Amino acid sequence: MEELSSVHRYAAGALLAIALNQAQLHREQLVPEILADSHDDPSVLDSLEDQGITPWSSEEYGLLHHVFGYLKIDRQAWPGIVRTAASADAKHHIGPFIRILSEENVEVPSDSSLSSTKPSSSVSKNNRSVATLAKAVDAMTISLEEYAASRSEPGQSRSDEDGNFFDESASLKEKRSKSKSGIKAAQRWASMKKPLLDRASSSSDLSYNDRKKNTEKLSVNASSSSSEPEDKEQAERRVLVSQRKVAVLYELLTACVADTPEEKAGKSVLNAGYDARQRVALRLLALWLDVDWKKVAAMELMVAYMAMEAEKEREEAKAAAHVDDDEANKTKWKKWKRGGIIGAAAVTGGALLALTGGLAAPAIAAGLAAVAPALGAVVPAVGGLATAVGSAAGSVAVAASFGAAGAGLAGTKMARRTGGVDEFMFLPIGDNHQQGRLAVGIVISGIVMDTEDYSVPWHGADGELERYALRWESKELIPLTTAIEDWLASSAARELVKAGAMMTVLAGLVAALAWPVALLSAADWIDSKWTIAVDRADKAGKILAKCLLGGSQGNRPVTLIGFSLGARVIFSCLEYLAKKGNNASIVERVVLLGAPLTLDQQKWEKVRKVVAGRFINAYSSNDWILGLVYRSSFITTGLAGIQKVEIPGIENIDVTEVISGHSMYLAKTQEIVDALDLDSFYPIYPSKLQGPPKLDSPR
Amino acid sequence: MAGSSGPEFDHILKLLLIGDSGVGKSSLLLRFTSDTFDDLSPTIGVDFKLKLMTLSGRRLKLTIWDTAGQERFRTLTSSYYRGAQGVILVYDVTRRDTFTDLSEVWLKEVELYSTNPDCIKMLVGNKVDKDAERVVSKQEGIAFARQYGCLFLECSAKTRANVQLCFEELVQKIVDTPSLLADTKGFKKNLLRPEEPYNPQAAPGAGNCTC
Repeated sequence: MEELSSVHRYAAGALLAIALNQAQLHREQLVPEILADSHDDPSVLDSLEDQGITPWSSEEYGLLHHVFGYLKIDRQAWPGIVRTAASADAKHHIGPFIRILSEENVEVPSDSSLSSTKPSSSVSKNNRSVATLAKAVDAMTISLEEYAASRSEPGQSRSDEDGNFFDESASLKEKRSKSKSGIKAAQRWASMKKPLLDRASSSSDLSYNDRKKNTEKLSVNASSSSSEPEDKEQAERRVLVSQRKVAVLYELLTACVADTPEEKAGKSVLNAGYDARQRVALRLLALWLDVDWKKVAAMELMVAYMAMEAEKEREEAKAAAHVDDDEANKTKWKKWKRGGIIGAAAVTGGALLALTGGLAAPAIAAGLAAVAPALGAVVPAVGGLATAVGSAAGSVAVAASFGAAGAGLAGTKMARRTGGVDEFMFLPIGDNHQQGRLAVGIVISGIVMDTEDYSVPWHGADGELERYALRWESKELIPLTTAIEDWLASSAARELVKAGAMMTVLAGLVAALAWPVALLSAADWIDSKWTIAVDRADKAGKILAKCLLGGSQGNRPVTLIGFSLGARVIFSCLEYLAKKGNNASIVERVVLLGAPLTLDQQKWEKVRKVVAGRFINAYSSNDWILGLVYRSSFITTGLAGIQKVEIPGIENIDVTEVISGHSMYLAKTQEIVDALDLDSFYPIYPSKLQGPPKLDSPR
Repeated sequence: MAGSSGPEFDHILKLLLIGDSGVGKSSLLLRFTSDTFDDLSPTIGVDFKLKLMTLSGRRLKLTIWDTAGQERFRTLTSSYYRGAQGVILVYDVTRRDTFTDLSEVWLKEVELYSTNPDCIKMLVGNKVDKDAERVVSKQEGIAFARQYGCLFLECSAKTRANVQLCFEELVQKIVDTPSLLADTKGFKKNLLRPEEPYNPQAAPGAGNCTC
């Protein structure tokens, strides 16, 4: 990872630390960061710890320290970073840390014996490899977009893609041959980097050379608006800086995903895999660094491929443990050569994905590994770690689970009557399976007319998620839904609707005593079915939680989305996770739509704590079916599917204008989810869907 | 302080150590917090130490930020001035450049970034044990301190001369400045549990800064 100087790596680690804690704070929804600007008092230091809350940056969560280790940040600097991130004014440190990323930093080897690598040349080389990495990420992003586009327009011809693909690979080959001469240097550099780094960090020879420049810098920082006519130079600098930001995110991502040997040796392996909290922090960090999340998603893929490759290599090495070094080298070289052909294509991985329907993922991994030397050993960071640190096993939990991950979730079928649930299985949906996605989505329908309704409502853009639909208890849900539908179609209901009685029932909370008799008689009929279904939903949630705790999602962050009773499954799952003391390591985001859940504040607060990122409650005040079947609790405590949940940290979105009745969720869910823009860290949609654009935040 | 967690201190103060690289900021801090002396490698970014101290009957919690003097970390230092009640400007009495840099670089930074207008500055000449190599005289230090309104001491982290005194004097001065103590009473608000707000009325200590 020599493309970043030690100072930049330090800043990267610190930024991740701050992002982790800020994401945690944001989750608890104190002062919205954007608003709390001028009038927070400048005073002291009431750190999170002082309030008896363990910040995510703390060692016990194991989210941060292995990243420091991976980034080779000097141990003596760790407490300062951790403390900075946990202090009350941490957000004021964000700016300077980001600014330092945009500064050139020369690694100064104190020892003259290292004169073979002149700092200036190493800097330009670093910048070059940063640029290569950034370009690779760009290419990946573009091809992913193209891939997604081609998926959504199945009419597009294959040959078209072929053409694209070869064009790009040709240009890449060119690039490769250009940088080939750099390979040897890169390798030499890699072998040298460790002692160099050690020496650099302990060197007492300091970069004092230019004092005047510093004061100039100061004044620039202060005024920050002196625009000189050195446009070209500045433009170049800007490009470099944005490339470096990409590299920083890539390094952090790799560090988060990789299981460092250090951690393994430690007493507790808390962090195997990619933690939901880390992903949330990276999302926030990407926002700070002004790097599009799409790029991060592309990086996730690259890292995943590398991880898979590392895993494969490890297994091969294990298998061929008896083979002597020479031969091992030979096979490795062979693989590289073979990879060279694929390698050119690798960076345009998306194109390849399009061609093969994703089955090429391992090949892409091999390809990325092959271009790696040209990238200045940037890419194989995950696999390279094992050799760099000299540990035999650089396994990556995420990678190990990829091959099986599909099976992990898709293979989960409950035996009959396990946990009081008859049916429980994951159906893969979307196109992102077996493609090394680093995030999982589980979607749960709550009202189904037939078995198709478990997956059909969720057809749409996958985003960067590997998605699964949960099929559960169709024997209970289908009759329930049918009963509701039947009743709706009945004349009595139509009369009531016509009379406009319903529309106001819930909005005005007339409800309590004034349910029309016709309604209540119907309700009796639905009630028994409803009660059973609710019970099963709660049980299914527990099973889901057990699956997640068992890691069948492949130690990857999970986004849970569900409507109606599906939302209840999710809530019950979260409750179980909370009970088991999970600390938001698994669940990244949650969307509940039309949730039949009471507004028990304590429960919601507890549940909020196991979700690392956004937690959204979509409600429709027209959803009178929900109010009807849930009338008793609705009257006493309120109902999440019908009104706002006034709990800090829960976003509410009013979908009344889209959802006129409970079963509308079947048709409208994906539309609503798309509107939520789950990929952004902050909620940026209006608090009311399809209403007049209001700017008041959903808080 | 009748805060829910009952803090074990009356005031929490933020101090900052600045100055060129190699003048002995970290050594000074190490001597003060753990009374040891070691050959330290340059600080990376920023270091942090806590020290509890009782001064004229008041229990004080000192949070001391030890910044890197190296230029490549200079950008980072700027945000650490925020909210500091005391800044210790350190120079090496055997290196004149570290002394001149204080007025040319570091004091400017303090003025630029400090958010406490009454923030106490303390000038400290370190390494007085190396008397033979001394190039900055005590008189120069005194003159500097007078010119810029700083406290002044010469000390040695190695021989521990004046180290304790240096921090005590600074803290004493902070404690004697009511405006600096205004926000040092611990938790203003409970950031993560807004439903249990810090209640100044309930705190008997509120407003008795001059006790």
